[in-house]
Amino acid sequence: MTPEAADVLKGAIALVGYGLAAVGPGIGIGIVVGNAIQAMVRQPEMAGMARTNMFLGIAFTEALALIGFVLFFIA
Amino acid sequence: MDQLILAAAECDPAEEIICAPENVLELFEFKEALFSIGPFDFTRTVFLIFLAMSIVLFVMWWGLRDRGSLVPTKFGAAVEALVNFVRNDIAIDIIGPEGVRYAPYLLTIFSFILVGNLFEVTPFINFPITSRMAIPGFLAVVTWVIFVVVGFYKNGFSYLIDTVWPRSVPIALRPLVGLIELVSIFILRPITLAVRLFANLVAGHLMLSLLLASGWIFFTSVGDIGARALIGLPWFVFGLGIYVFEIVVAVLQAYIFTLLSAVYVQTSVHPEH
Repeated sequence: MTPEAADVLKGAIALVGYGLAAVGPGIGIGIVVGNAIQAMVRQPEMAGMARTNMFLGIAFTEALALIGFVLFFIA
Repeated sequence: MDQLILAAAECDPAEEIICAPENVLELFEFKEALFSIGPFDFTRTVFLIFLAMSIVLFVMWWGLRDRGSLVPTKFGAAVEALVNFVRNDIAIDIIGPEGVRYAPYLLTIFSFILVGNLFEVTPFINFPITSRMAIPGFLAVVTWVIFVVVGFYKNGFSYLIDTVWPRSVPIALRPLVGLIELVSIFILRPITLAVRLFANLVAGHLMLSLLLASGWIFFTSVGDIGARALIGLPWFVFGLGIYVFEIVVAVLQAYIFTLLSAVYVQTSVHPEH
């Protein structure tokens, strides 16, 4: 394999890696938001707190996908 | 297989097709100085930073200039609503009563990031300054310095001790949890804070550029105008749909950056919770 082809292939593998890294956080964010909506519907008076904590949970879950995004650029 | 990959990677600059950038590091670097003062290059991004700063200063000054009078102007009421939102809903709600002390900093980063993000969807600018790594990186470093300094100031050296040797977990787990906490607080927090903002804005900017540029390329290519419009129009409509979505993302990311800065300060002020 020529070096140029190896470079291109590396980029393609990095893309697949980012896709895989996005699967877990995607599921996680779905669970976080779904449960936050349940909490808001059951206890509308606590909706503000649930929303704040929802954004926090999203932020922490999203970190994994962001690391994947950065590794895609580094690779 | 080699031939196929190389054929896909080939990019002839003579043809008027927009190619992938040769160097993705462009996204992280400033380039093409308009003029230089000593070692400081004055690029388009730097100009936009100063523009964002001026807009924030002007809006705040214009909105709050007649705060002595009994009835605020409409614009003044809107600016007051923004200030109240950051002060009450972010600073005081999350940090507690002493959060008032951090409200000026939070308001500063919120308004600066908001204006910087909204440059993405401003016609004739169309470039979010927060998609250059230097700016979210610097803001994250400032937040990092603030919450570390506050942590040591409020708790003394036990801030570090309690982090690496947490008393609330069983003793066998303490080294592991301590290591995870140490890495998470001092290394991962600022990195994810910066990269979250950066990645969202880069992704949005790329998506807008690709979709609208695709529409433009198909519209202006050779051939029957009906066929060109049939291919180009869906790209254009999709691009405009993403445009609206990007406005939401711009506001949401400014809010999340401010919210997380407040939460990190809060964990330094009350580390046991």
